[in-house]
Amino acid sequence: MGNNQDSSIIYLRGLHKCYWVGTMPFPALHGLDLDIAPGEFAVVAGRSGSGKSTLLNIVGALESADSGRVEVLGQDILGMNSEQRTRFRLHNIGFVFQAYNLIRVFTARENVAYVCQLQGKSRKESMEIANHWLHEVEIGHLGYRRPDQLSGGQQQRVAVARALASNPKLILADEPTANLDSMTGRHLIRLMHELNHRFGTTFLISSHDPDVKQAAGRLIKLADGQIVESWEEVPEPPQSLSASCPANHLPLGERVRNYIKTRKQSRARKRRGGNQRRS
Amino acid sequence: MDSSEGLSPITYLHLASRNLVRNRRRTLITLLTMIFGIATLTLLSALNDGWLSQMKTNFILSYTGHLQIHATGFEASQNLSDRIQEPEEVSKLMQSYPEIVGWTQRIRTSGLASVGGSSAGVQVMATDPEQETWVTSMDQRVTSGTWLRPGISHDLILGYTVAQNLGAELGDRVILMVQRLNGEMVSDVFFLRGILETGAPQIDRSLALVSLNSAQQWLQMGDSVTDIVIRADIHEHTDDLYRLFTQQLSEHKYEIMPWQELDPMVRQWLEFSDAYGFVILLVVIILVIIEILNTMLIALHERQKELGVIVAIGTTRIRIFLMLLLEAVMLIFIGAILGYLAGSLLVYSLADTGINLTRFANAFEFFYMDPVIHPQLTQDSAVKILSATLIAALLAGLYPAWRATHLSLSQALRIQ
Repeated sequence: MGNNQDSSIIYLRGLHKCYWVGTMPFPALHGLDLDIAPGEFAVVAGRSGSGKSTLLNIVGALESADSGRVEVLGQDILGMNSEQRTRFRLHNIGFVFQAYNLIRVFTARENVAYVCQLQGKSRKESMEIANHWLHEVEIGHLGYRRPDQLSGGQQQRVAVARALASNPKLILADEPTANLDSMTGRHLIRLMHELNHRFGTTFLISSHDPDVKQAAGRLIKLADGQIVESWEEVPEPPQSLSASCPANHLPLGERVRNYIKTRKQSRARKRRGGNQRRS
Repeated sequence: MDSSEGLSPITYLHLASRNLVRNRRRTLITLLTMIFGIATLTLLSALNDGWLSQMKTNFILSYTGHLQIHATGFEASQNLSDRIQEPEEVSKLMQSYPEIVGWTQRIRTSGLASVGGSSAGVQVMATDPEQETWVTSMDQRVTSGTWLRPGISHDLILGYTVAQNLGAELGDRVILMVQRLNGEMVSDVFFLRGILETGAPQIDRSLALVSLNSAQQWLQMGDSVTDIVIRADIHEHTDDLYRLFTQQLSEHKYEIMPWQELDPMVRQWLEFSDAYGFVILLVVIILVIIEILNTMLIALHERQKELGVIVAIGTTRIRIFLMLLLEAVMLIFIGAILGYLAGSLLVYSLADTGINLTRFANAFEFFYMDPVIHPQLTQDSAVKILSATLIAALLAGLYPAWRATHLSLSQALRIQ
């Protein structure tokens, strides 16, 4: 267990990663430091090749860093073996990929239920959870369809539902709107934002989509494997997407107040964590 | 490993079966290749079993029976002094075993047959004319004349070739000369009653058959005999009877020989046939392995990204391994079952009519075979074919499954 889990859900220090093509080095991350607090809706922006996907892959325990310190949910990712990483991902991280990446031979519902089954839930319970999350992302009626019978936006919603179904504390989304038209992309981001707001799940999203950046609670700009800019702002509260969502019955003002309160608590926790580390 | 984590077998089966149908054409081509291979293997195996069974039956019924009991050392010495002096001791055991459908006593010795000015070395065999018909089909293989008459002492039956060599015809006087127990050479006149044609050259060119009672008197052997020949109800009971007699009879007095040991050439043919069957099985299985390996590696290549995603969202590598292995096993299992069914249908359609190889009849007779081969499905072959294909499935599935567990996650996820 690391030292920083109370303050940061993601704690990166001096992160280096270099890819090699033959004898040619291609540095991807260059001494990167980053803290993400629980409940944040953070967006990593930057040009292609700036290291966004590499950063998400390392945080998501999908690949290793060459050097540095990586703690996610207080656990040292780099010290884990392959099996430990797989289990860590299963129980703690949800993934949303650019190309949806659903299992083609499963229906939408089975895709979502699959992670629950991996976690040891019964098939019946997994299907119920899948139904719930498909309703949450407003495609409950499409659960029986296979991915090739769904539009890009619908597939990405299934991917979001799959990411949430394992009840993760962190969701990593790599260019989630890149394959969607702008309207569908905006809709998806609002949905993710709302889920972040309602369930307190931390989102770390890589994107160069202006709509995504606009929705960011915190924007981290990467260039040449380093953070060149990072700022936080209180975003506009998400637009209600579904009348069926229980949280949408709250008055808008109360939802905004709740959200601001959560953000303040998060920052306070982060400051306390920083002081502890310094001391 | 957390035992609470896991996919239900239904999920594994769903994944495997749906992955198989996701590329229907490829799966169909693979299945058709396998069905053809396994069906051919089943037919060849059934033909092999069919002719082997004919060969065994013909060999056993033509002369040897399933089991022979001799006095110890007789098979090697062929000397009358190595005889069974108290055949009743053995004969009384016959009643106890329902697996025995018939038994007879015989005397075998070498001798000389002469007709007119012609002579030929013969194997004189004396048997009980009635009892013999329960053990072998020699009486039905008398192509000219008739079988030995019970109670008639000087009837003689000659093998077809030896009769030809002597120029003997039915009714001719044939002088047989043999050596008695005491070494004295004796001869007697017999009348050619019939000519026997078994198809087995070593029998047809040397056999001189007389009745047991007259031979015992002529050779002054009293009640003693050289062979007790037993026929079992089915071939498969030979080993059981062999064990029983081995337990019951003293090994110092008796040697018990199953039919396989009585003719080295037949045993070699059976071993050759086994080897031939094994080679055919091996060739077909190797083809099946290559076909499945090819299909699975292409499927693996196509699904690298999906497998990467499955691992990324929390599937352990051992589960990926099992998924891929199950897919290969399922594919081969379906192919093997359908192939075996197709092969069985072919066998059943040919079982009655058989495959007529009359053109090669002479060559077949040499090996105790009928010119029409009736393919025969046996449980042994079915187990051999299906277990070999299952092993092939595991072998063919192992490598792609292992490859799948060694995918680079980051590279797999970057595939467009």
